[in-house]
Amino acid sequence: MPEPVQYRGMALLIPDNDSEWKEHFAHARQHRLMLRACNACGLLRYPPTHACPWCMELGWTWKEVSGRGTIYSYETVVHAIQPGFKDATPYVVVLVELDEQRGQPTPDEALRIIGNLLKADGSTFEDAKSVAIGKRVRVVFHDLAPHMALPQFALSDEAPTGRVWQLPE
Amino acid sequence: MKSLKDKYCIVGVGETEYSRNSGRTTRAMAVEAIRKAMVDAGLGPGDVDGMMSYQSGDSTPANWVASDLGLRLNFYMDVFGGGSSTEALVGLAMGAIETGMCNTVALFRSMNGYTEFRIGGTGARAAQPVRSLDLAQVPFGMRSAGQAFALTFMRHMYEYGTTSEQVAHVRVAHSKHASQNPKATQRERVTVQDVVGSRWIVKPLHLLDCCLETDNATCVIVTGAERARDMKARPVHILGVAGRVNKPRTDFHWAHGPITRVAGYYAKDIVFGQAGITPEDVDVTGSYDAFTFTTMLQLEEYGFCQKGEGGQYVSSGIIELGGTRPNNTSGGHLCEGYTHGMSMVIENVRQLRGTVDDYCPGAAKGEHTYDYAPGRCRQVKDAEITMNLGWAMPPTGSALIMRRG
Repeated sequence: MPEPVQYRGMALLIPDNDSEWKEHFAHARQHRLMLRACNACGLLRYPPTHACPWCMELGWTWKEVSGRGTIYSYETVVHAIQPGFKDATPYVVVLVELDEQRGQPTPDEALRIIGNLLKADGSTFEDAKSVAIGKRVRVVFHDLAPHMALPQFALSDEAPTGRVWQLPE
Repeated sequence: MKSLKDKYCIVGVGETEYSRNSGRTTRAMAVEAIRKAMVDAGLGPGDVDGMMSYQSGDSTPANWVASDLGLRLNFYMDVFGGGSSTEALVGLAMGAIETGMCNTVALFRSMNGYTEFRIGGTGARAAQPVRSLDLAQVPFGMRSAGQAFALTFMRHMYEYGTTSEQVAHVRVAHSKHASQNPKATQRERVTVQDVVGSRWIVKPLHLLDCCLETDNATCVIVTGAERARDMKARPVHILGVAGRVNKPRTDFHWAHGPITRVAGYYAKDIVFGQAGITPEDVDVTGSYDAFTFTTMLQLEEYGFCQKGEGGQYVSSGIIELGGTRPNNTSGGHLCEGYTHGMSMVIENVRQLRGTVDDYCPGAAKGEHTYDYAPGRCRQVKDAEITMNLGWAMPPTGSALIMRRG
């Protein structure tokens, strides 16, 4: 079993038999955002689980996605709970809706992934004031170990899609 | 729809002090809460033969607690769970009795939620290793309940124009109710300005949008309606129950939107269908207030107002004592203390009996002034039907409708 990955005071455990996450984070370490696609209906899913949530097919194939998407929702953590995040406050958590498979298989479904809003270097937190629903982002990878990177997101220079909204303060 | 409407009752309720310093074990607190509920119902040691609890590795199993009280059980079960477990266990207790496995079931939750296992996620919880599904959230600084729910709350503000000021009224209302509750740990009334002026925790949540952390144990006792007739307290009849109803994709509910939709969307037809009533018939609600927003989201999803109009509903005065449908008249988790939901069921049982434990001298005999000035009365006049809306997280919830006997 590999050593836990230490990151911001957390021990991230990905045992050899973690058949959900091990390959996902290994692909991320190669700077590729890979999701599982159903061998029967072709729909992508996240998290990387062992059955298709739409047709129950067990077979799947890793497929790379562009990593481009739109901020669907966000939160700004001002009071950190985890000690390792105290020095990062205020930091932003984003829920990113990926460009692939939006509104499929039903209008309210989409591939949505949680990450932090980082600068383009993939490790520094972005200024919390610059986050807004509707802004465009792209995936960046924060390398943590030889077998693991965290997929994160940075603002892209693309024009926003739809209404841009920020919590009024 | 299959229904056990009116066939089961809650006959006893009990709780320990709400504090931040219990100074004792969850076992000791559970024993006290169960004993109080049994005394409340007029039950002796041979009269309770079923017991269930819920916990997350932070409590004492039912068979130890029962032994302390000399209860020989024909049925017990401890389940994994927090909020929304109370209502679900009421339904399971009815099922256990219906099968003939046992006759009378005590349900308890005992937790040192402040001094041992901080519910807010600090301490032992923050130090736990991160594995499995937690890898999709926790490495991004998203560990506490507030952090896990805030994306839902923020999206509601975006989609419906809900404001911080509107939602703050939930805290205002519950603080008003707590000012009539000698047990409440936060009895001072607050204003909208107090709430939105309190420091940020995780935007859009201010400190006063968040509930308390508390040491406490609670108990309710369920039995059949025929047995209930012989008991000391006025029985409260169960009209309908929905237990831990889910949205699709509970493992990662963000995938299946709209993310502002909560479990009540699916639970409401189950529970109202059994009870044969509509939201209009409900006199008092107990919408789980882990956060101001959770109360609002559930009230709108169960149809007390239109979807998206929760902000207007909770800021209209309806949910305050003296309004047409008060919510969490004890002060709830925001102001009384945090119990993972059972205290809100206890409060509604007392409302239906007419014996809410406020500052009225004759409260235990059902004599109330209905004067809602601070330090006075919190009994709702002629409350006939109550509804509890239990919350675990956005995609999981339970509901319980009760009427007075």
